[in-house]
Amino acid sequence: MSENIEKSKKPKEPWFVIGKKLNKRRSALLTCFSFLLPFLLWCLVSYTPFIWHPDVKLDLGGEFGSTVYTAGDHVSKDYLPDLVQVTQEENSKILEDRTTGNISGSKRSNLKKLRLLSPLLVKNNILSEDQYDDDQEIYMAWGKVANEPSLLKIRPLSEGNLTIVQNGWNILSKYSPTYDKANFPSQPLLKLLPQGVRANPIFLPAPHEVIQTGIRDWKAEPPEGKPSMSNRFTTSILTVLYGFLAAAAIAIPLGIIGGTYDFFAKILEPFWDFFRYMPAPAFGTLLVAILGVHQQPKVALIFIGTFPHLLLMLTKTVRIVDLPLLEAAQTLGAKGPTLLGRVVVPASLPNIYNDLRIALGWAWTWLVISELIGVKAGLTEVIDTQGVRRNFDRVYPVIILIGIVGFLTDQFLAYLKTKLFPWQTQEN
Amino acid sequence: MKFLTHFKKTITALTFLATATLINAKPLKIAYSDWPGWVAWEIAIKKGWFKEEGVEVEFLWFDYVASMDAYAAGKVDAVCMTNGDALVTGATGKPSVGIIINDYSNGNDMIVAAPGIKSMKELKGKSVGVEEGFVCHLLLLKALEDNGMKADDVKIVNTPTDKTAEVLKSGAVQAIGAWQPNSGNALKAVDGSTAVYTSADAPGIIYDLLSVDAQSLATRKADWAKVVKVWYRVVDYLENEDNIDEALKILAARVDVSPEEYEPFFKGTKILTLDEALMKWKKTDGLESVYGSTKFVDGFNVKFEVYEKPLAIKNYLDPSLTEALKK
Repeated sequence: MSENIEKSKKPKEPWFVIGKKLNKRRSALLTCFSFLLPFLLWCLVSYTPFIWHPDVKLDLGGEFGSTVYTAGDHVSKDYLPDLVQVTQEENSKILEDRTTGNISGSKRSNLKKLRLLSPLLVKNNILSEDQYDDDQEIYMAWGKVANEPSLLKIRPLSEGNLTIVQNGWNILSKYSPTYDKANFPSQPLLKLLPQGVRANPIFLPAPHEVIQTGIRDWKAEPPEGKPSMSNRFTTSILTVLYGFLAAAAIAIPLGIIGGTYDFFAKILEPFWDFFRYMPAPAFGTLLVAILGVHQQPKVALIFIGTFPHLLLMLTKTVRIVDLPLLEAAQTLGAKGPTLLGRVVVPASLPNIYNDLRIALGWAWTWLVISELIGVKAGLTEVIDTQGVRRNFDRVYPVIILIGIVGFLTDQFLAYLKTKLFPWQTQEN
Repeated sequence: MKFLTHFKKTITALTFLATATLINAKPLKIAYSDWPGWVAWEIAIKKGWFKEEGVEVEFLWFDYVASMDAYAAGKVDAVCMTNGDALVTGATGKPSVGIIINDYSNGNDMIVAAPGIKSMKELKGKSVGVEEGFVCHLLLLKALEDNGMKADDVKIVNTPTDKTAEVLKSGAVQAIGAWQPNSGNALKAVDGSTAVYTSADAPGIIYDLLSVDAQSLATRKADWAKVVKVWYRVVDYLENEDNIDEALKILAARVDVSPEEYEPFFKGTKILTLDEALMKWKKTDGLESVYGSTKFVDGFNVKFEVYEKPLAIKNYLDPSLTEALKK
């Protein structure tokens, strides 16, 4: 009891002291915060309506000339009224034609108008995800919404759109209570006006969207003939690993003899020093021409991006082995291969390990560029194609995934080092 | 085990870069890309029609220019490209023989200008992002000519077609040249941007073909005939309006857009039925013939120094396999 009181009375350590390390608990706490802060900032920007929401994310899209907007697309809030106006003009033309009896249209274009409502129906849980393109269900849902607008709780229809749905259902219900392809009007229905909710710019999706999309993409059954996310993940990891291992397998022996014998250093270093200034991606098309379009050129690109640096680092590492160690061994009579195998290599092993760890990091940074050459593959194909389609909520999970894997690997290797070379860690 | 073999392969490949040679695999390798007329092959792939016709093919998906690079490097037996680009690839890389006219571009190739610019003439002195030397560059030159402008009235910024949307959005250029789905992406990325010139303004200037390596065509003509047959099954399938929803799903999935976004692409790509294609194969001088169009493009390419000398066009076109299907 008395001990406890004594502890709590102990004066608090200050948080800010020059040149002094914080205790373990505080370090851990701050590490958490270093991840939490950017995330909180992201949440703040995403979920505070008055901060940086220049766009409208559409719930209802439509076709405008050669441009088709679908649900989820962004338009700037100043541009949306233009789109609404265009649609309103189309609609008043249709109404005008109805009064003059000048009616011509197609069943298909009406069907497309019905389908426009589908994303909003899914969002309001009136349709399930897999009923998204079920014409029968969409047709029935038009009836439900027309008769009971309060069903749309999460994202209600605008006044104008509600009138359009009711007007449409008036016509449809005269033809058939359920969707009947043969008994479906061809006289033009009114077109829904684009509507949506305010949003951040498209390149900044909200955290929950990124998480949801990430999970959905990871679980999704890919279309036939395309790899699943986990397959892509494996492909990408293997590409990095092969490239790195190939570089390491060649660079380690060369690095050791280059660091030990000046003869090899003079033969190796100048050329590779020159070679490393040629950017690896510059070899992209060349590698495709030589190695084909699949995994080999990608691995080769990572090799080219990693090997020269690694080699030069290794020769340097091996060269700076403690001189006293060498002298002591030589005094004891060690020379040639014995000196190399028993002194030089063991002495530089911890640093070689470190160099490899850094090189693995480089190999990771080449991944995305390498997977773009030849046939796009792995995680990069998702980043590239979805990025071009401006589906950034599908891009972030992949980028974050690559980050997490790289970070965790590095942490693991750092931990492994303390086990493999305990004496080194203590020195530091 | 798999790891080891891969690892060995890589090492071998790296060590013997210079001696690496192309091994002629059994299936016909065809490179295709995101043009709607070529994505249509996806229907035959998904429905297993190649197998039904008894020909083994492997379709490889690329960016357009990368697909031609792969062809020029000898990594594939055939590539889907426009008649104009077949000439460019022939003059600078490797010649080919067009055996199928899939379609002609009827609006899907566009010059998309930033908001506020409503005509080609307003582009004078502005920057335009196109992939230099390829199909949209040709479209741009034609657009300039049609508007009484000169080639150096605009500044060309060499831009990969799949990146045109981003480049237009960035404001670095005032217009871009691209085809669907890239042109559509650009229109969507920049609110208020419009297409100031499209291939519908110059119908027949861009035909889309299957271009085959001459040696492969000579040695495996029977197999290529089967490929042609499969293509016209695809065309028949697309002609039937009842198939359109299913078709849209297949095609849209390939290029990662939604079916409703994909539907308008059909309007801008006139896929040719067998009879229509046979008309286009007739040797006349106008743009309504693939010969006339190719000759026109050849002249264009020489004039604008894409390559130096006119090419022997008849070597680039072979209607025989299509004609053999005539009933």
